Amino acid sequence: MSSAQGRASDQALAIRASRGDVEAFRQLVQEHSGLVYRVALRILGMNDAQDASQEVWVRVWRNIKNFRGDSAFSTWLYRITVNTCLSVRRKESRRSEKEYGGDEMPFLPEPPGGDADPEAAALSAERRVEIQAALGHVRAEHRAALVLRHMEGLSYAEIAQVLDVPDGTAKGWVSRGRAAMLVALVEEDNRRAEGTAG
Amino acid sequence: MMPVGEQRWEMLERIGAYAAGELEGEEAREVEQLIFERPDYRRLAESYARMLVMLTTLGNEPVEAPEAVINYAVRRAYVSAFMRSAEDFIGAIGRSYLNAFVYYLGLRRESYEGGT
Repeated sequence: MSSAQGRASDQALAIRASRGDVEAFRQLVQEHSGLVYRVALRILGMNDAQDASQEVWVRVWRNIKNFRGDSAFSTWLYRITVNTCLSVRRKESRRSEKEYGGDEMPFLPEPPGGDADPEAAALSAERRVEIQAALGHVRAEHRAALVLRHMEGLSYAEIAQVLDVPDGTAKGWVSRGRAAMLVALVEEDNRRAEGTAG
Repeated sequence: MMPVGEQRWEMLERIGAYAAGELEGEEAREVEQLIFERPDYRRLAESYARMLVMLTTLGNEPVEAPEAVINYAVRRAYVSAFMRSAEDFIGAIGRSYLNAFVYYLGLRRESYEGGT
């Protein structure tokens, strides 16, 4: 199915669901549950992702009458998902960003195995844990922007729409999140290296 | 004058934007020149490139929601739809009884069949 067809199909299902058609809602859940869970997992981590995903779908059902179809259903869903995740992390969002206090610029060494198979190295279980841990050190709004940009592949215009901020703010949040993420990832990597050496 | 920490952070963000392919024209050329001149900036750009590959790779992995999430969402919707219907039904019965009672007491002259 093309993206235009998919979008039209989502709109039609959303309209039916807004009239109380649970079967249409069930199809939307089946179709998009991966998106919701994936984003919640990246923003909140494994422990909170399931509860947050359930809360997202409760909010979708409750508010589907407000979906006007001005944007794609997936954009509207991203917005509810990110808002739900940010409300879970509201306290944490006041926490200051990971500061960079080092004298030298952070450096992330090449994974074992070198550039021959960067994807395999990137997907090792240790790397996954490091990435998730490093994401946890990035301020919640910046983390959400970073996830939407570099893991979900959204444009800045889409990110701005999802986060309900101007384009420039979305760009700034991604930029800050990217830098904070690298600093945190280097620290995680150093910690692991020290653990292995010790 | 900008504090050293802020300057370093700004450079961190600029090189990040360059590594993500988001700089254009003069700005991109400036950063390229800096990366060419300074090995620490070059290493930083390489580090960003590695991190971005990791994020994209992880982002491209299919993730399936647990069945429990789907079941919970659908069950809640069914219960909610049932409650809405029940509310409408009870509301309609209540209104009918009230109309009948009002008619019985003769407080309204309308015919119960809907005529006047």
